[in-house]
Amino acid sequence: MRLLTTREAVPLLLVAAIAAVLPLLGSDYYLGVGFILFGWIALAQSWTVVSGLAGYISLGHVVFAGIGGYVLVLTWGAVPVWAGALLGALAAGLFALLVGLPVLRVRGPYFVILTFGLAEFAKYVVINIENALGRFGRLILGGPPLETLYWAMAALALAGTLAVVAIRRLRLGAGLVAIREDELAADTIGVPTVRFKLFAFALSALLPGFVGALFVLRTGYFEPAQAFDPVISFTIVTMAIVGGSADARGPVFGALFLVALSELLWSNFPQVYMIVLGALLVGFVLFAPNGVAGLFERRRAAAAAPAGG
Amino acid sequence: MEILLSGQLLVAALIIGSIYGLVALGLNLIYGTMRLLNIAHGDLVMIGAYTGYWLFTLAAVSPVLAMLAAGALAGLTGAALYFGLFRRQLAGSQPIERIEANSLLIFFGISIVIQNLTALAFTASPRTYQALDTLVRIGEVSIAQSRLVALAVCLGLSAAIVLFLRFSALGLSIRALIQHRTASRIVGIDVDRVQAFSFVLGFALAGLAGTLIGVTEQISPFMGFPFTIVAFVVIILGGLGNLAGGIAAGMVLGLIETYGVALTSANLRSVLIYGVFILVLVLRPEGLLQRRRLT
Repeated sequence: MRLLTTREAVPLLLVAAIAAVLPLLGSDYYLGVGFILFGWIALAQSWTVVSGLAGYISLGHVVFAGIGGYVLVLTWGAVPVWAGALLGALAAGLFALLVGLPVLRVRGPYFVILTFGLAEFAKYVVINIENALGRFGRLILGGPPLETLYWAMAALALAGTLAVVAIRRLRLGAGLVAIREDELAADTIGVPTVRFKLFAFALSALLPGFVGALFVLRTGYFEPAQAFDPVISFTIVTMAIVGGSADARGPVFGALFLVALSELLWSNFPQVYMIVLGALLVGFVLFAPNGVAGLFERRRAAAAAPAGG
Repeated sequence: MEILLSGQLLVAALIIGSIYGLVALGLNLIYGTMRLLNIAHGDLVMIGAYTGYWLFTLAAVSPVLAMLAAGALAGLTGAALYFGLFRRQLAGSQPIERIEANSLLIFFGISIVIQNLTALAFTASPRTYQALDTLVRIGEVSIAQSRLVALAVCLGLSAAIVLFLRFSALGLSIRALIQHRTASRIVGIDVDRVQAFSFVLGFALAGLAGTLIGVTEQISPFMGFPFTIVAFVVIILGGLGNLAGGIAAGMVLGLIETYGVALTSANLRSVLIYGVFILVLVLRPEGLLQRRRLT
């Protein structure tokens, strides 16, 4: 087996190259864009683990980022910053483990709407807790500088990409794909479906927890409606679908494309940006369900096929 | 304690329940006949609410008439989506599970598009308006006229649709389609026509209910999602294709919400609704699946 196949090397090198180049441009603007881009890549790769490979589509992935951010502000001042972010990631993973057992029993479309409901539920619970505490948004002062956050987020994006590449090579990856194709059959031939699903779900929650904590550190502000905003889940799904969620390339392509689009449109025409996103999601699901990565594949296959065949 | 026993609260619960029942009826029709999970259902409620708002504000049209316009507008949206996007999907050879999963993502995208188009046109700021707000006294209970209208319309329409499904040829075809797609085609039902009709009717009902909701609730481009969730809870509780059961389930949810909020606080309303939603799905997803295995 080769050390890395092209489809594995492309996303890893792309992330590494972008991470290396952006700081050379010497402006905080590019660091800020890079920070966001890597955040989305990490989120979309995490989503791919459970939704792309295992086919359990989550429309509520923001819940893990929200938990990560919330744990960070709760532990702010009590523990060192990075310990707080790590705790946020662990809390998100633990949450996934706890709710995963009952939630992952629900299959297909019911799982999908359940994830959305679960994220909204968590949002309102946190809103009510904060209201009861008399806190309406929390400020965080004296977080790490942008450059540090940038490198941390780049590391998360690389870790997420590496994780998807690695999982696809492991028995776990094969098992998850088998679950996606036919869960009953996978179960019958001995794939430990319950354990694999739960493991994948918890794994796909860890990085988002970390990313959520970093997002809070960057804005210096935590507000539940914002930290648990369903638009974040929607963006993750759109990125992964537009890029393609069969392997590690898709999330990178999707995040690059959507972040570029967002830089063009978001600040002046936020609604137009969202409308384009919605239209992209509909269009790709209907006409190119394997995303941009799938389109590349198709062109290559067409070029390799003998003429007229 | 005293307030819990008052007729006022019971009537409030019945009104909310009847609205939920009607909203869910549309979702049930579309899911039942086509296995399309319309996550944008609540956004049609929103469209209906805006229709009522603008007709009243600009032309002083009573919500009672505006709701017909809202139903027509939502129905047209439904027709455009059915013939533009979904007809081909349904006619294709894809397995039903694939269509179900894809429909969720497609409607998710449509929902975002509708919400943001509305926000673009009318800004994102919430609006309210005062119509039909004279209080009517019935014995101990006093109700705003608008809520009384909502109760009457929702119950009346729900009953009418149940009768329609039971006694008209088209209604029977819809029920046949809910029970078994392939068999309905074999016995000569024009599946495409029945699907188009159910799709448009489902959308129209949501739009119509939206006008009634908009009279008493804050209207904003993003008001729809809670109604989608509510509708899902109701059709899971009531059972797929069981339209009468859905109406009863709407009442149950109305009671749970009203008394739950009265016992705790209005802030907890969303927690309560989503909590019920999660419990129902985790404990009893078969409720929704009951007759699904037939296809």
